[in-house]
Amino acid sequence: MFKNILTGFMTGLVLLCYQAVSRASTDDDFLKANEFFQNKDYSRAIALYQNILASGVESAPLYFNLGNAYFKNGDLGQAILYYMKARRLAPSDDDILTNLEFARQFTSIRMEGVQLNPITTFLESLVAPYRLDTLAWWSSALFILFFVFLSLHYGLGFRSDWIKIVTIVVLVMLAVSSWMTTYKYRHDYLTRRAVIIAPECPVTSGPYEQSEIELEAAPGLVVEILSESGTYYNVLFENKRRGWIKKELVAEI
Amino acid sequence: MKSRVVSIAVLSLLCLMVPATWAQSEIQVTVSLDRDTIGMDEQAVLEVVVTGTEQNLPAPQMPSLAMFETYSQGRSTNISIVNGQVSSSITYRYMLLPTKSGVFPIDNIAVVYNNKRYKGNRVELTVLDRGVAASPQLEEKAVDTQGKSRDYFLEAVVNKTSPYVNEQVTLTLKFYIAVRYYGTPELNEPSTTGFWTEVLGNMTPYFQKLHNRNYRVIERKYALFPTQAGELTIGQATITVNVPSTSRRRDPFGMDLDDFFGRGENVTIRSAPVKLNVKPLPVEGRPANFTGTIGMFGITATPDKTTVEVNQPITVTIKITGTGNIKSVAEPLIPDLPDFRVYKASSNEKTSIIDEQLGGTKIYEEVFIPNKPGNLEIPSLEFNFFDPKTRKYQTVKTRSIQITVKQPEGYAVSPEVPYSQSGVVIGKQASDIRFIKNDIGRLTSKGRLVIFTPLYMVINGLFVVSFVSLLVLRLHREKMTGNIGYARSRKASRMAQKRLTRARSLAKVEKISEFYAEISLALLAYIADKLNISPHGLTSDRVTALLKEKGADDALVEDTLALLHKCDFARFAPATLNQEDINQSLENTRQIMVKMETVKFV
Repeated sequence: MFKNILTGFMTGLVLLCYQAVSRASTDDDFLKANEFFQNKDYSRAIALYQNILASGVESAPLYFNLGNAYFKNGDLGQAILYYMKARRLAPSDDDILTNLEFARQFTSIRMEGVQLNPITTFLESLVAPYRLDTLAWWSSALFILFFVFLSLHYGLGFRSDWIKIVTIVVLVMLAVSSWMTTYKYRHDYLTRRAVIIAPECPVTSGPYEQSEIELEAAPGLVVEILSESGTYYNVLFENKRRGWIKKELVAEI
Repeated sequence: MKSRVVSIAVLSLLCLMVPATWAQSEIQVTVSLDRDTIGMDEQAVLEVVVTGTEQNLPAPQMPSLAMFETYSQGRSTNISIVNGQVSSSITYRYMLLPTKSGVFPIDNIAVVYNNKRYKGNRVELTVLDRGVAASPQLEEKAVDTQGKSRDYFLEAVVNKTSPYVNEQVTLTLKFYIAVRYYGTPELNEPSTTGFWTEVLGNMTPYFQKLHNRNYRVIERKYALFPTQAGELTIGQATITVNVPSTSRRRDPFGMDLDDFFGRGENVTIRSAPVKLNVKPLPVEGRPANFTGTIGMFGITATPDKTTVEVNQPITVTIKITGTGNIKSVAEPLIPDLPDFRVYKASSNEKTSIIDEQLGGTKIYEEVFIPNKPGNLEIPSLEFNFFDPKTRKYQTVKTRSIQITVKQPEGYAVSPEVPYSQSGVVIGKQASDIRFIKNDIGRLTSKGRLVIFTPLYMVINGLFVVSFVSLLVLRLHREKMTGNIGYARSRKASRMAQKRLTRARSLAKVEKISEFYAEISLALLAYIADKLNISPHGLTSDRVTALLKEKGADDALVEDTLALLHKCDFARFAPATLNQEDINQSLENTRQIMVKMETVKFV
């Protein structure tokens, strides 16, 4: 018995040590990459930031710095891609929002006929400042609170008016926060979005080499991926125009 | 009402009549000759094609052709249905044998239908003097070395012997045969190494008189394009034909067996090789971007639209039409256009044969995408070729295309940003972005979402389970206090167990009579609690009836009754029972209660 406890304790200790060492190494790489950035050696900075990402971790500042390095290196598509990844993790970060908006001004093509639905815009503005995790924990807290009050009322038999009122208020708040969480999840994760990263990106009428070119897209444009066929994605532009783009020319957010 | 019916009937009749009227006006008569010049010893074939939407088209009325002997060669009918529209045509063929030389117009061939006369077009046939049609060389070929006329021979002739590189040379294989033959002659095509070859096809057979023999002439033509300068040779062509054998077999009645069975002997005839001296294209006057096209061509460029918005594609169809090797026609050079991005969309070609000259149309589709608003111009495109007739290089041009490019509307993200960012270059000099962050922040596993973590699910699930448990407990409690039957039923087992424990303690102090009284009470009280009735007055018969009513099986009823009888018996004769009987009774009671738990009392 004592032996088992000791083995478990030692394993936990080793894991903790490994995590601490790994975190220290990641922090070192991050600082080195920042140094490269400050010395205007953007290619090496990009390589080091990408190295950290390859270890399976992510953070908003990491994506933000990588976006900056790509921007300075002249790769607009990749810059916008990583700014958008950063925004997903930290939607209210002013630096990320400013740089993303700034970078998007450099896309050489404007999609004509973009019509913004006022309802969708309003709903997006409601959830935009919050992370999915934040909304999920809010929903969870309200859910727990709702069941605590239900238990008080029905389980333990506390029959007072204020419990009823608070339960109803919590239920309404829970409905709102659950909807916001679902909307955020659908908008940010279920809907597949991609950024055009190739300098030249012909948009064709079909998923074949022989298909006619309908228009030429530019790096930095964001598209919604509707379906895929072979080496092509069927994409929807902001102005609801559809077309086919080779998979290698875009990167999924 | 009546007048309305009449009106509808008249209108319907009119509707039916209209197509009939159209049908009348659609009859056409087309007259053609297989050749416009023949010698006195030759024949021409006159074709009269009557076309119309009627199925029973009338035969043409032929004028008197005094200068020819005319023989009908039959007719052929063709009916086609396109989009539900029936059209038919009948082709009448006549062989014309001239009796005089000169130029003879043939007109007034007409068709009369529904009292209307439809006249055909006019053609002219020139008949040359006797002996002019066949060349002396040909006359020579028609005789063998012993001066005897040949039964068949094959001739290969070209229209020119000194062409330029890539200029068309028309090769004609002529098979002359003056005897009957069986089956179809089999041709072995000539070798044309050094040429790009296109078969123009077989011509309509005709007859030619040589040395007073009537030869049937079968012609096959080729368009040859030499690919290199110097001396090139068109190889021999061979033709194998089945002709009656020289030693004819005859049956006892004198009938020709070869004719009867349609077979003779195979003979193979060869044409002579033809040598060509191919000239290189002149260097003088050759344009810098000349791609080697020879012939005579024209070029047009047509846009699919002339008003677009920025970044919307315009497809320009460039057509190069003319005579020459159309497949070798290269794409016209498009200069660098700063206002457009240009993509090649597709290319295809349609070949055609005009007067034995290969030609056609090569179509290129180019996509021009304007990158700024305003009035833009796609400049004229040049195409050059060498014209072998004038022996000069020529350049043809398209017209320039004016495009109005509009500024797109509705772009909401940053409408103040110009449409073309050619002046703005991002990169090392761009310093308006906010600077990098020094803290890496909270690192999480890539793609991890809290809603799918076990912790999140357990925390939320725990409260649901707690609530449900509390709710069930509360409902149970309320039922226990509000429903006596339910409470008695739920408590029956517990009460019975208590009584059995008490009975066990009575047995220990050897109060046998009380022991069995307690067991009997435990059993009866258990049944009474389950049925929410009083245990007093429950007899064996009543217990049997109640248990059977609730669906208990016979074995259980019997066991219950046996135990109750035993208890009654023991209460009055306790001395006859020992410890083993007591234990057995306790066990039996327990088993009966376990079995009774399966009976649905409620």
